[in-house]
Amino acid sequence: MALDVEWTTTQDRPRADNGPLLDLRRVTKRFGAVEALTEVDLRVHAHEVVALVGDNGAGKSTLAKIVSGVIQPDSGTIEIDGEPVAIPNPAGAHVLGISTVFQDLALCENLSVAANIFLGRELRASKHSPMDIDGMELASAQILRDLTVTVPSVRTPVRELSGGQRQAVAIARTLTTRPRILVLDEPTAALSVVQTAEVLMLVERLREMGLGVVIISHNLADLRAVADRIEVLRHGRNNGSFDAGTAAPEEIIGAIAGATRPIRPAWATR
Amino acid sequence: MTSLKQLFGGGARQFGMVFALIALVIIFQIATGGKVLTPTNAQNIINGNSYVLILAIGMVLVIIAGHIDLSVGSVAAVVGIIVALAIRDWGIPWWAGILLGLAVGAVIGAWQGFWVAYVGIPGFITTLAGMMFFRGANQYIGKSNTVPVPEEIQTLGAGYLPEWGPNTGLNNWTLLLGILAIAGVVYGELRRRRSARKLGGTPVELWVSIVRVGALGAVIAYATWLFGSGRVGTSFPVSGVILGVLVLLYGFIASRTITGRHVYAVGGNKVAAALSGVNIRRTNFFVMMNMSVLAALAGIVFIGRSTASGPFDGTNWELDAIAAVFIGGAAVSGGVGTVVGSLIGGLVMAVLNNGLQLMGVGSDSTQMIKGLVLLAAVAFDVYNKVQGRPSIVGLLMKGARRGRPEGPGSDDSNAGTGAAPVTQGETLARS
Repeated sequence: MALDVEWTTTQDRPRADNGPLLDLRRVTKRFGAVEALTEVDLRVHAHEVVALVGDNGAGKSTLAKIVSGVIQPDSGTIEIDGEPVAIPNPAGAHVLGISTVFQDLALCENLSVAANIFLGRELRASKHSPMDIDGMELASAQILRDLTVTVPSVRTPVRELSGGQRQAVAIARTLTTRPRILVLDEPTAALSVVQTAEVLMLVERLREMGLGVVIISHNLADLRAVADRIEVLRHGRNNGSFDAGTAAPEEIIGAIAGATRPIRPAWATR
Repeated sequence: MTSLKQLFGGGARQFGMVFALIALVIIFQIATGGKVLTPTNAQNIINGNSYVLILAIGMVLVIIAGHIDLSVGSVAAVVGIIVALAIRDWGIPWWAGILLGLAVGAVIGAWQGFWVAYVGIPGFITTLAGMMFFRGANQYIGKSNTVPVPEEIQTLGAGYLPEWGPNTGLNNWTLLLGILAIAGVVYGELRRRRSARKLGGTPVELWVSIVRVGALGAVIAYATWLFGSGRVGTSFPVSGVILGVLVLLYGFIASRTITGRHVYAVGGNKVAAALSGVNIRRTNFFVMMNMSVLAALAGIVFIGRSTASGPFDGTNWELDAIAAVFIGGAAVSGGVGTVVGSLIGGLVMAVLNNGLQLMGVGSDSTQMIKGLVLLAAVAFDVYNKVQGRPSIVGLLMKGARRGRPEGPGSDDSNAGTGAAPVTQGETLARS
């Protein structure tokens, strides 16, 4: 598998007007009487890391699940490369080039790194031949090298890896399908400082590869370090968009907590 | 079980397991004054345990997938009586009887696989029901009688390979098998070195490979002499050949096919496997059905050895097979275990039985000792897993490898990405 070649094509893929890779407009989702998302907009370009922040219950995970096809919006449009699309299920999201790494990484700890990366998509030379174990190990090593991730060996069982390395394996897994958009749900939750730094470097590598990355996190310091843009959600609505390089943390926290820039007072929406 | 997993990860680790078995044989050889390693006794050990070892091969896959199969003894018994009756009363040829038996095993396996995989009843319950049902079915079909089987089937269970060719002092088939086995070991080692080089790492040092191949080759050569030098007309047993073929076949399925990898994945993390696109139901169905087919084969081999099918065949076989699998390093929680490990675990139990018997220890004490050995083997693994130290086999292995400059575990650890091994110290500490 010539993955390095694939990355080049991803980067050089001609895009009309250099517009957003992923464009969500006025997306609304209700769960019964609760309006989880109300007319939310989200844009992701190639080579861009967009952070999605907000308090618990602000709708971050709901938005991520809509992007990854786990749930469907009640209204609103989703465009990929300017084409309106529907994302009916996770498999459909894969076809559209969207991969998601959920919080519980879904790795088999008893299997090796290479086995996890190719689990369910094992390579083989022909239809009736056994697994191409060497091929999978080589391809895994290549993907991990592209990500500049260090593991003892692609044959190491995942249970022997650190949290950061596991996160890297979970991300590497998604890259075998060559996505263009990657959604990371709380990638640094429950990681140590060093491991968090490793994962953040990984996110930067993904940006260099030309992917559009949506990252959900609670940790504002991490996000300011890695994201290009920070989108704040509050009570299921957009509540501000900040340039990660220049915005002051107080400003962002204010938007998360609702102290600044309320779109409408809470009583007016009821 | 981490250390065990590593122990079985490469060929070097299976070498350690073989070493443990050899140590046990030597202890008994000394304790009995040389009665264990005689051609007749060695042939008896294989003939008398091949059916349990066949069951252990299937059972390890069931246990890796996170289930258990309690019905294997009863399934073997019901297949045995059906084969014996079909050959005697319907007059079908012996080979058709074997095919019929395997087909019955497949049908029973499909039945149990259906309940486990598609209805979602735990394997323990499904096969507990199967254990009762098929035991009853054996006695109902056979009217609790003992039914003899023809000579060809007896050859399968207790027969020997024919004599041919020049007089080499050994049985020539046994000699040929021994040569093939040694060639296989050499080929496997060459292949492992090539694979390590292909991955951009360095294979283990040449002398390590030579020692490994030399030691295994010496063991095989000795076994060839042992089995081949018995009285004329005896050889490596036919049931042992069947067992050897099955070990190769299932070792291949478990480690090099997608089906096998999915069995490990389902046992390791069912949810993750499902999210990754592994067909959980088909995998569970496969392991349960496969187990019953192997139980059918074990039943046929057994009625061959005992020359007849009886109403109490296969009693407690499931427990022997399960014990073999756990001594061989499988984890109760699933996801860990190997076919070769289970074979050796079964042989450890067999040698223990045989050695104690030769020493004149009664079956009461033998049972007690076997129980304690099972408990001790698993307890030692659990304890060392908690402590992060090597398992019992790992400790033996460490002794065997002492003095190797790069230390244990490095032959595989370096073979991977070629990237800086930052956590190699950690890996080493756990190996």
